[in-house]
Amino acid sequence: MKLLPFIGKRAFHAIFVLLGLSIVIFVIARVMPGDPARVAVGAHAPDWVVQDIREQMHLDEPLVVQYFYWLRDALHGDFGVSLVTRRDVAQDIIEFFPASLELALFALLISAGLGITLGTLSAWHKDKFVDNLVRVLSYMGVVTPSFVFAILFLLLFGYLLHWFPTLGRLSEDVARPPTVTGFMTVDSLLAGDMVAFWDALKHLVLPALALAMGSMAQEARITRASMSENLNKDYIAASRAFGIPERYVMGRFLLKPSLIPTISIIGLDFAANFSNAFLVELIFVWPGLSRYGMNAILRKDLNAISAVILVLGVVFIIVNIIVDITVAKLDPRIGLRSARSE
Amino acid sequence: MNTWTRQRFVLLGIIALAVVMLAACGGSSTPAPAEPTQAPPQATKAEAPAATQVPTEASAAKSPVALRVTFAWPTYIDPAVGNDFSSSAALVNLYDSLVFPAKDGGVIPWLAESWDTSEDGLTWTFKLRQGVKFHDGSELTASDVVYSMKRLQTIGEGYAYMFENVADVSAPDDQTVVFTLSKPSGLFLLSLVRLYVLNEDLVKANTAKKGSYGENGDYGKDWLLTHDAGSGPYMVKEFPLEEYLLMEKNDDWWGDFVENAPDEVRFIAATETATVRTLMADRRLEISDQWQTVQALKSLDAIDGISVAAIPTMTEFYFMINTKIPPTDDVHCRRAMSYAFDYATAVSLEWEGTKQSQGPVPATLAGHNPDVFVFPHDVDKAKEELAQCKYADELDQYPVEIHWISEVPDEEKFALLFQSNMADIGMPVKVVSTPWLSVVENMSKLETSPHIVTIYVGADLPDAGVMLNQRYSSATADQWLQNEWLLDKDFDARIADALATVDQNERYAKYYELQDYIVDLAPSLFVYDQVEKHAVQDYVDWPAMKGEMSPMQGYYFFAPQIGVNPTQ
Repeated sequence: MKLLPFIGKRAFHAIFVLLGLSIVIFVIARVMPGDPARVAVGAHAPDWVVQDIREQMHLDEPLVVQYFYWLRDALHGDFGVSLVTRRDVAQDIIEFFPASLELALFALLISAGLGITLGTLSAWHKDKFVDNLVRVLSYMGVVTPSFVFAILFLLLFGYLLHWFPTLGRLSEDVARPPTVTGFMTVDSLLAGDMVAFWDALKHLVLPALALAMGSMAQEARITRASMSENLNKDYIAASRAFGIPERYVMGRFLLKPSLIPTISIIGLDFAANFSNAFLVELIFVWPGLSRYGMNAILRKDLNAISAVILVLGVVFIIVNIIVDITVAKLDPRIGLRSARSE
Repeated sequence: MNTWTRQRFVLLGIIALAVVMLAACGGSSTPAPAEPTQAPPQATKAEAPAATQVPTEASAAKSPVALRVTFAWPTYIDPAVGNDFSSSAALVNLYDSLVFPAKDGGVIPWLAESWDTSEDGLTWTFKLRQGVKFHDGSELTASDVVYSMKRLQTIGEGYAYMFENVADVSAPDDQTVVFTLSKPSGLFLLSLVRLYVLNEDLVKANTAKKGSYGENGDYGKDWLLTHDAGSGPYMVKEFPLEEYLLMEKNDDWWGDFVENAPDEVRFIAATETATVRTLMADRRLEISDQWQTVQALKSLDAIDGISVAAIPTMTEFYFMINTKIPPTDDVHCRRAMSYAFDYATAVSLEWEGTKQSQGPVPATLAGHNPDVFVFPHDVDKAKEELAQCKYADELDQYPVEIHWISEVPDEEKFALLFQSNMADIGMPVKVVSTPWLSVVENMSKLETSPHIVTIYVGADLPDAGVMLNQRYSSATADQWLQNEWLLDKDFDARIADALATVDQNERYAKYYELQDYIVDLAPSLFVYDQVEKHAVQDYVDWPAMKGEMSPMQGYYFFAPQIGVNPTQ
């Protein structure tokens, strides 16, 4: 199957997935205890204020009617007003999404780069010291939650060693570049402000590293396992018998096919990091979508909850499509027709 | 590009990434000298380990002195929306009010130089100070006060509920404001500390036509989310939501700043313990938020140069007892609980300086009855009372549920202490952890309200009547402010009468009687008056620590009176 029809088909399927997701989250958010209007304005606000909000949000209507209103507006790009930030949810998403995306992409760079490298080293030195060391590190990475790494890095590299900043996206005394993409690093480059770029980059390191640790460990193990399996195949033995240099065998013949499962995991990890970054964002005061979403849930901010879940759903779908295309490119035998989600 | 070249390209990419990370470390591993609490002039200095560094004269001269405080998000800086902790602290710095709270519970002139009231207590006339400028340089007039009050009442959020009895407000001339009340109120003057005056012209110029308020459009709500229109001692410089609120000093403010008042005030949206600890230890945070656990505060207190301030508040910690379901519908059962609870141990679990509550209102509130009966921990007396309870012989059939709020883990130990104390008198108790939203939902109906809920309640004004009214009047029975479901018409009438009494002494006398009345009913356990705990750098001269500021929410963060001297 060619690329464009493949993407078109997946996009068509995605509509139904998102529709289903929206219904589920719409219902779950509304059966949670608490009157969102009262929570928003506090115990002292007079009843007419609460009632106004309820009417604006159609909260007195049956659930089906509420969903209809929500869907109608959402299709026009209007996700309603957040009861926490008191402004359009769409505006919140535009502001907070890039911060999380930048963090997740940076974490992806770290986890994929180091994970594949460590996995390759591990396979290359199978059952030797390096392999054992990487194995121990990987186990630690997999079993330790990202927020533990976040606190550890904060105290070690921020508090004790003072290597990296620990608060927000930019230092107090660095002027914020004009927002173009919402990526602090990119915006500062676009503004030609290298001080801000360098500062933004340093602010990314610790939260991204904390977020990347679990993924990195997992990717290292998958790469190692896949390479070890392929290492025993006849074509590798044949390559070596022909006297092809070991480095070339590892890189050209072994790593590439072995990366297929790793790529799939990287994709899933990236999407998962996006939604699991709540505590990391909280610890580093990172104004991202995960923190926004969690605050929305704690305060029963219905519109924000639905919008955040939808955005995360879209991220998952896009990442899955990219992974399928990448896997197909890496191994022509698989092809888009047989991509795993088909 | 062949495969091998591609691989080398990838390898180079990985190496470049590693180099970037190492270089990033290197950039700050040898930081330039920076002033400990001042924002340094160079980006690379901002995150430096400042505590051990010596500032240069040049950097000290250029860097603004900052007061940085962590707060729980969100912060609303619209005076018609915000009324929570961080919002109040922001509002008092961005806006001026007609009167200002005195530390003893009264008020002092502020925007209003003088005032007068009619004999019936229904008309209040205020004369405004001349020459007060808003942040944009325009003059503050009586019309702005009228606009601010009408806007607050129309929107109905924030502190609007304090002005429900204001029937009319007018400005006969630029310096005179007249309020007409629908009924007399002993609290009206005090309430005016919560009327923050907006720049009418500026708000109108930034009002969206589309909105919920008819010809007033959105009443400037969208713009005021991130901008101020005030005349206060500080003005908004930056406000990225969920990150921080940065306010800079208004040098043209009409009032006085103390000698080392901060040039900038930064409210940081962070309460995570590890984050706060790192910032405090690095001297990049002057005052911590109030949500740190006792254990976290002890750890901060151990750091050289940091102390923990225990500030008396207008908040009391209650065990709210449902008076309408068995066995707690019997007053003898409730009194038995009140006697059986070990207050001294409860207080000892809190920070030093915490005291057992003396009745149903905190001792910081004006009109608190110092002679009200206080239940001692007396197990024998508790057993005597329990014997008179009609459920005494069938307590096993009525296990008492005590719900503590899951989001406040410190509350669990008090619930467990209660369970242990009640076991001493043979009363079975079940401890339940309940999320806040479920607590609010449960308390909204009598049939779902549990036996006991542990909750902190604060008064918005330093007046005992405000607390008595919100805690025990029938109007709040279905809100989280009351689990008691007292529904006592006699009490309702008496508190309404007291609140309408303009003469202060007469009003306080009525409050005293009502406090005795409530204690006799034992509808709550009055556990302790909360002290707000903040870790504070020793170079901060914070009058609130010395009891020199009003305990009203937000006012002890009035920055013009806080000295910050990082070179100390």
